[in-house]
Amino acid sequence: MFFGTLISTHLIYRKISATVGGNTLDVRDIFDIELTSFSTFVLLASSLFMALAVSAIHKGNLKSTRWMLFGTIIFGSIFLACQVYEFTHFAHGKENVNGDLEHQLTLSSYAGKTLEKGKDAELEPHVFGSTFYVLTGTHGTHVAIGVFWLIGWFVYSFTGKMSTADAMDIECCGLYWHFVDIVWIIIFPVVYLMEYAF
Amino acid sequence: MSGHSKDPVTEESKRFFTFFNLSMILVAITGLEIVIIYVQSFEGSTIIGVLFATSVVKFIGVVTWFMHLRWDKILNTVLFLMGLVIALCTFFAVIYMQDEHPVVAGFEVTQIKNDWKPANDYKSGDYILFNEKYFIASQDHTSDKNWSKDSWNPVSGIPHKITWSISTADLIEINSKKPENPFYYQYSPAKENDIEDSRIAILDEVGTTEDFRIKVRSEAFWVENN
Repeated sequence: MFFGTLISTHLIYRKISATVGGNTLDVRDIFDIELTSFSTFVLLASSLFMALAVSAIHKGNLKSTRWMLFGTIIFGSIFLACQVYEFTHFAHGKENVNGDLEHQLTLSSYAGKTLEKGKDAELEPHVFGSTFYVLTGTHGTHVAIGVFWLIGWFVYSFTGKMSTADAMDIECCGLYWHFVDIVWIIIFPVVYLMEYAF
Repeated sequence: MSGHSKDPVTEESKRFFTFFNLSMILVAITGLEIVIIYVQSFEGSTIIGVLFATSVVKFIGVVTWFMHLRWDKILNTVLFLMGLVIALCTFFAVIYMQDEHPVVAGFEVTQIKNDWKPANDYKSGDYILFNEKYFIASQDHTSDKNWSKDSWNPVSGIPHKITWSISTADLIEINSKKPENPFYYQYSPAKENDIEDSRIAILDEVGTTEDFRIKVRSEAFWVENN
């Protein structure tokens, strides 16, 4: 429900606020689809590790559980790092051939192309940054919570107390992680790929 | 959660390949999505259709196998579907509640400068300028060769015609930005779409479009044209 509302809000405002400064807002100028595709693959791979971790704890293979949890943590962290890199670059903007900044996306404004050489593009109020950052940021926060949860289990695995009795708890953690994954399965095409459809 | 009716070690060992194969399928589908975007040889509606289909397939893949619904009690699937249905209903409810953003396509304020003409047909409410004074026709008539005040009433101000065309609105508000030349008008249009309307404003001073502001309200938006 929560993500359903955020996604629909993003889509609505993307449609009704399709221009900025009288020009069409083309977010393909902002997005780095190669990086986002990479992070999508990473998140999918993390889901495999998570599923294998749950499978391993059911089998009582604690060593395998530990390393599968570690793999999930690493891939989840790479996804978060990609998102931080992406947000930082979106907020900073891109340099054109003259070294001027353009296509800067902040939480409440957007700068299109620079109109004058030697001058950065001017920021104009726009809602795209708000809906985009809130949606993807909320998802990123859920990923971060998942990573911390997994780190907790990873550390716990070294205490010698972990056993198959913890299988249910690790499976709950796994369900949460897969939930985060299926949300991204929706966000990636709806927010990113659909921008390239028209 | 998982239903481990048989030997859990054997069951889970079998699932390793299921998980690995599913993961490869998910990666392949995501790759397909990206390729479709890159080649740019499909129509927008086709791309959206494919993206929707692939997302549904990936979604089902993750919840069925990674989230163990495949091996769980049917109650868990029902519970999951209930949540999914509520989420989808929320999504479509928000989409349905979307209100069209009003667009002020035209807004103009022009001073009426119709000089009185002899032997001309006038209708009640027409404004004319005669000897630098404004008059309004009190009835339909054809003017004589010479000016006569009989069918005209003097106007205490300068008449302006305000015209506007708006895509959609349920409330329209027009006001002067200059306190020394006051004007305020608010009304709810009879039809809410493709509104084209006008009004005569009697002003103390000559005004231009820039001196006025139109605010348009639809269900969820207030749009202001400064």
